[in-house]
Amino acid sequence: MTAATPGFVKLLSITFVLAIAVYMLVPLIVVIASSLSTSQFLVFPPPGFSLRWYTEVFNSDAYLSAGWTSLKLALFTVAASVALGTPAAIALSRFRFPGRSFLSAIFLSPLLLPSLIFAIGLLIVFSRYGDGPSLTGLVIGHTVITLPYVIRTVSANLIDMDPHLDEAARIMGARWWQRYLLVILPQCRTGMAAGAFFAFNISFDDAVIALFMRAPNVETLPMRIYSTLEFSPDPSVAAVSTIMILLTIFMVLLLDRIFGLSKIA
Amino acid sequence: MKTRKLFAGTAGLLAALAFGHTASAQETLVINSFGGSYEETHRALVITQFEEMYNVKVEVVTAYSADALAQLRAQRDNPQFDVVHFSGGLEHGAASEGLLEPIKPEELTNYENMYPFAVAGIDKGIGPMYSTAVIGLLYNTEQVETPPTSWMDVTKPAYADRVLLTDAASNTYGLLGFLMMNQVAGGSLDDIEPGLEFVKDILPNSMLVSKSPEIQQNFAQGNAWIAPYAQDYAYTLTKAGLPVKFVQPEEGGVLAPITVNLVAGAKNRDLALKFIDFSIRAEASKGWAEALRYTPTNRLAELSDDVAAEVVYGEEAVAKLVSFDANAIATNRAAWNEAWTRAIAQ
Amino acid sequence: MASASRSTNREPAFLLTPGLFFLIIAFFFPTFLLLAQSVLTVGPDAGELTLEHYQKAFADSFYAGVAFRTLRLALLITLICLLIGFPLAIIISRASRIVRSLLILMIVLPLMTSVVIRTFGWLVILGQGGVLSWVLQALGLVDGTVSLMRTEAGIVIAMVQVLLPFMVLTTLGNLNQMSPSLEEAARVMGAGFFRSIWHVTLPMSAPGLASGAVLVFALSISSFITPSLVGGVRLPVIASSIYQQMTGSFDWGFGAALSVLLLGATLVLMVPYLIATGRLGGRS
Repeated sequence: MTAATPGFVKLLSITFVLAIAVYMLVPLIVVIASSLSTSQFLVFPPPGFSLRWYTEVFNSDAYLSAGWTSLKLALFTVAASVALGTPAAIALSRFRFPGRSFLSAIFLSPLLLPSLIFAIGLLIVFSRYGDGPSLTGLVIGHTVITLPYVIRTVSANLIDMDPHLDEAARIMGARWWQRYLLVILPQCRTGMAAGAFFAFNISFDDAVIALFMRAPNVETLPMRIYSTLEFSPDPSVAAVSTIMILLTIFMVLLLDRIFGLSKIA
Repeated sequence: MKTRKLFAGTAGLLAALAFGHTASAQETLVINSFGGSYEETHRALVITQFEEMYNVKVEVVTAYSADALAQLRAQRDNPQFDVVHFSGGLEHGAASEGLLEPIKPEELTNYENMYPFAVAGIDKGIGPMYSTAVIGLLYNTEQVETPPTSWMDVTKPAYADRVLLTDAASNTYGLLGFLMMNQVAGGSLDDIEPGLEFVKDILPNSMLVSKSPEIQQNFAQGNAWIAPYAQDYAYTLTKAGLPVKFVQPEEGGVLAPITVNLVAGAKNRDLALKFIDFSIRAEASKGWAEALRYTPTNRLAELSDDVAAEVVYGEEAVAKLVSFDANAIATNRAAWNEAWTRAIAQ
Repeated sequence: MASASRSTNREPAFLLTPGLFFLIIAFFFPTFLLLAQSVLTVGPDAGELTLEHYQKAFADSFYAGVAFRTLRLALLITLICLLIGFPLAIIISRASRIVRSLLILMIVLPLMTSVVIRTFGWLVILGQGGVLSWVLQALGLVDGTVSLMRTEAGIVIAMVQVLLPFMVLTTLGNLNQMSPSLEEAARVMGAGFFRSIWHVTLPMSAPGLASGAVLVFALSISSFITPSLVGGVRLPVIASSIYQQMTGSFDWGFGAALSVLLLGATLVLMVPYLIATGRLGGRS
């Protein structure tokens, strides 16, 4: 805070931030507390504390393989989404050409429809023109819904950057691949990282596309959570969620280490 | 068909890059199951044994009835499933859309052992019921001193704000419970107005949920004391340690079929039929009752006394269950849903 | 951006083609296949053109009411996200490095919790005899228990929690570009704290706020899991009605018609907004 900030504003800010912190974190604390429960079912407050649900999760082949499937799915999605989204974002934020805002809108359009409409459509396409749903189908579906986020974060990042660098490189006679590899892509780095973070989270948490693109031997973690809740709702799902929360904290800290969080937006 | 090639090409390329297919020489059968402990039981009772017996591979897609029907429909031209399981009556709609294939009695060695109602629709594409659930009343044994005896008990002032109803539009058990309350209130399958009025009357003093986890949470948090729902779910709650019991009200419990169906255009018809036949064995029927408290439909299934005490069991008891005309349900479902949604909306 | 590369049009075309090609095949084509069902008949004479599904939506005022609730809630959610997100973004942008990282972490954490489980958290807090009810009683603000589950207030509370990150992160992007000396200059010139926020910081962060608002609005209009789990079946929104048509009534034609109407309404509301944002977003 700058020195000119009045004292009462500082006090107000601190109160405000604390209130928001309570609002954002209390539901998560409830989940974490429930995961440590001795109870057979999801209930709050927990009657006693134990780690039995963590043991259960780590001993469950179903959870582990679902976690592995989700991880693979999220990584492929991140790769595809960043690979397709970054060039599009560069074009949309670095060049002026007719129809630019129309194309921006096109690239953001997957956000506008409930994803289940797209999910059923994708299922029809895969069944009619392919071999039915598969992990590949899920990767394609998730790439569609995460693409807008990557484009947005990379664009926001590029607006921040100095376009003269690229121009200088061009004037100095850099070949196109040299310009991209040495000038433009390094400038997109933080945007790509932020986009990848969003894409990873969205793919990892999606239960809508996964609901319709169900295939043999492809069970993602959210699907596993759903079916567990349906038939034997126990705190193991809270334990899985807690593990995911810890994973997020780790990822955010990692991003902070590498890129500095202040730049990610 | 350019698009088709293009699409298949792109997808194929991605698949090849990403995963690398492994071809298997074994015959495979693709089925759905409902996930969670249901699927575990399903594997133990039917799937794994079937694989070993016929030396085949059964691939299980976890898909709930409604999702499975949506998938069948989307894949009409090229179904991934050979066999599909439904609970709560969706098979009639699917059969009338031509998504399921009729079965002849002589194609099932267990046909003669089944209760007649369980195989009544196989010539129309409605697969045999390998077990049934029973809809009645669940109640909290710690809060409710005298067990409820009638569907009308949900109107008792003592249970005000503690009645838990299940959405009839999105949950088939909810629909069957609603149809029963409709019948008790004087309605019929041609006229659900009395039922809608009945529900509207008790709604201000009840909770309305749409998914079974919400039922569990509300019983666990002590918000719900009495709820029309299924006997097997009562057992799930009991197993989790909740003080919940199931009763069949005097007007009767409702039969909720769970069927195993042959998908029209199944790639592996013969094997699919063998699987269906294997699913309706007496041992399987018995196993479902023991593991999850579903009512057997094979008359040779013999239950021990303690299990029999917790399921509707035996030809006579099963015959007393109220069974709604599934065809009428399939025909009216969409219209009922619209009426129901309007009746409950705030 | 005015000084951005004056290159041939080949370069952006080359950059855009893979993504566009992908979206056409993997998004527009499947979506079109499904939305097309909104004008096709079902049953024995399937495949004929019809408007019956749209007529059904307008047969009575029910779906108009559902649409009204959807828009009202989406606007409210967007407004609250703006009101909380803007000051929060300012505070984050000026905090020390460690505090800033912690605050960003706090903002994105809810995104990473499975929606079903997060809703369980809300059930415990907002439900009958829940944490909120207990706190309000302890403070003497209410007599007896209160429950916000199955209320519109509950939907808004749960939705703002997950959508706030989008608002804060987009706004933060703008604020980071802003040189603090600008505001200080305003202050030196005699503007008060709030005046300098109003006249300097707010205009500078307008593009971020605007695109954050578009994102939040779009996401709240099209989401259905949180509204249906927190709000319950008695408070339907358009997206949950579509879900119900697709997987409960199996009336895909009608579900598709509702989707087209939702898409139409979203576009009508957002296009003027997008144009304005486009103008704001371009840097001189």
